[in-house]
Amino acid sequence: MQISPDQWILAQWPLFTLNATIAFTWLVMAVLCIGSWLITSRLSTGESVSRWQVMLEVVVTAIRDQIAEIAEIGAEVGDRYLPFIGTLFLFIATSNLLSVVPGYQPPTGSLSTIAALAIAVLIAVPAFSIVGQGLAGYLKTYLRPTPLMLPFNLVAEVSRTVALAVRLYGNVMSGTVIAGIVISIAPFFFPVMMQVLGLLTGFIQAYIFAVLAMVYIASAARTQGSASPAENAENANRKEQ
Amino acid sequence: MQIDWLTVAAQLLNFLVLVWLLKRFLFGPITEAMARREKRIVDRLSDARHAREEAEAEAEALRARQRALDADREAEMAKVRAGAEELRARLERELRAEAEQKRAAWLDHLKADRAEIVLAMQKRAAAHIRDTVRRILAEFADSDLADQIASEFALRLERLEEEDRQRLAMTAAKLHEPALVESGMELPSAARSRITRAIHNHLADGIEVEYRTAGDVLFGIRLTLGHKVLDWSAGRYLDRIETLVDESLDSAASEAADAA
Repeated sequence: MQISPDQWILAQWPLFTLNATIAFTWLVMAVLCIGSWLITSRLSTGESVSRWQVMLEVVVTAIRDQIAEIAEIGAEVGDRYLPFIGTLFLFIATSNLLSVVPGYQPPTGSLSTIAALAIAVLIAVPAFSIVGQGLAGYLKTYLRPTPLMLPFNLVAEVSRTVALAVRLYGNVMSGTVIAGIVISIAPFFFPVMMQVLGLLTGFIQAYIFAVLAMVYIASAARTQGSASPAENAENANRKEQ
Repeated sequence: MQIDWLTVAAQLLNFLVLVWLLKRFLFGPITEAMARREKRIVDRLSDARHAREEAEAEAEALRARQRALDADREAEMAKVRAGAEELRARLERELRAEAEQKRAAWLDHLKADRAEIVLAMQKRAAAHIRDTVRRILAEFADSDLADQIASEFALRLERLEEEDRQRLAMTAAKLHEPALVESGMELPSAARSRITRAIHNHLADGIEVEYRTAGDVLFGIRLTLGHKVLDWSAGRYLDRIETLVDESLDSAASEAADAA
């Protein structure tokens, strides 16, 4: 049973192997970019707005509100995180929702994709902190409350990323693994149910991933200066529960 | 299941590219458009609020002006009413005064008219009485009456006050012309001689006497000595009657005017 699109090789060169994960990622990227461009090239600021624009505005506004709510900051400050968190959400949601198309394999079903996204979040957390308070200010947070806490802070940072990746993978893969098991038992009835369930879980995954990423970034940004990254992670975990 | 690190790197790159692309094509334009629309809405709301505030201020100013105009109009109306009332009172006073004046003038005029009418009537009445008496006396005058008149004149000359008689006598003595005796009727010769004798006895002896008849003497004798006149005539009684009638009519007329 092939459960990861990484193993589905579409083309192979000496240095690079094009597997389904990358290919479907490009497809999702193309869908998102072309769709966005088609809609945003005819943006209206007047009273009459096209329904596509309304849809995009609803999505973007919902993401902005969510960011502002989680980070407990104003919408203007939240706009700094909007491209990253919004892309995260839209990419995962689109990848999962396209699974209704026959022959399509969601790239989020690949642990490599999830790991890449987790690494992106791992980079983003210090990146946003550095942008917000400078490199020195960010590095100081690892020495708080005392320099003795440095190893613990580093472990917390790494473990948070790993936990995020595993949690994401679990969310994404659970549906696929369950589907694979159920299909082998009852091949006619369950796949339809599982497809419907897959749409819902895929959407929830996107939401959870984006929200978790935002929680990490926000907790890091908010508590710096007063608490250590370890405490931040703790706070994040508490929030998650 | 394994992690393909090459795929991970490719996916990381893909994701970062996608972040940039969506920022370029989706989030940037959308947030800008929403911000522009929000700004437009805020601007329009603010414009509308300003317009409403201006309109309210304008309305308030207009209402204040209206109130001021109303107050002015009321004050003006009150002034005009007071002026009109004053004018009416003045005109009424003037009219009353004028009417009173006219009435007084009219009454005066009426009184004068009445007096004139009364005067004319009395004169006519007196003249009528006098004429009637005169006619009666003229019709009934005869030689006996003439004798009687002559006797009476002679008697009067005789009973004349001494002072008067002296004065007349002195005048007659200086006179170079005859004494003139006028009577209302032709005197018979007996009467003439009696009168001449009486004149000679009592005034001037030997003076020449000339006799004439005169209508205005009526019933009596008028002796003219130069510029002195001795008159005895019934005409004087008649004049006396006229005077009495006039007096009684005058008093009646003034009583009537007072009653009016």
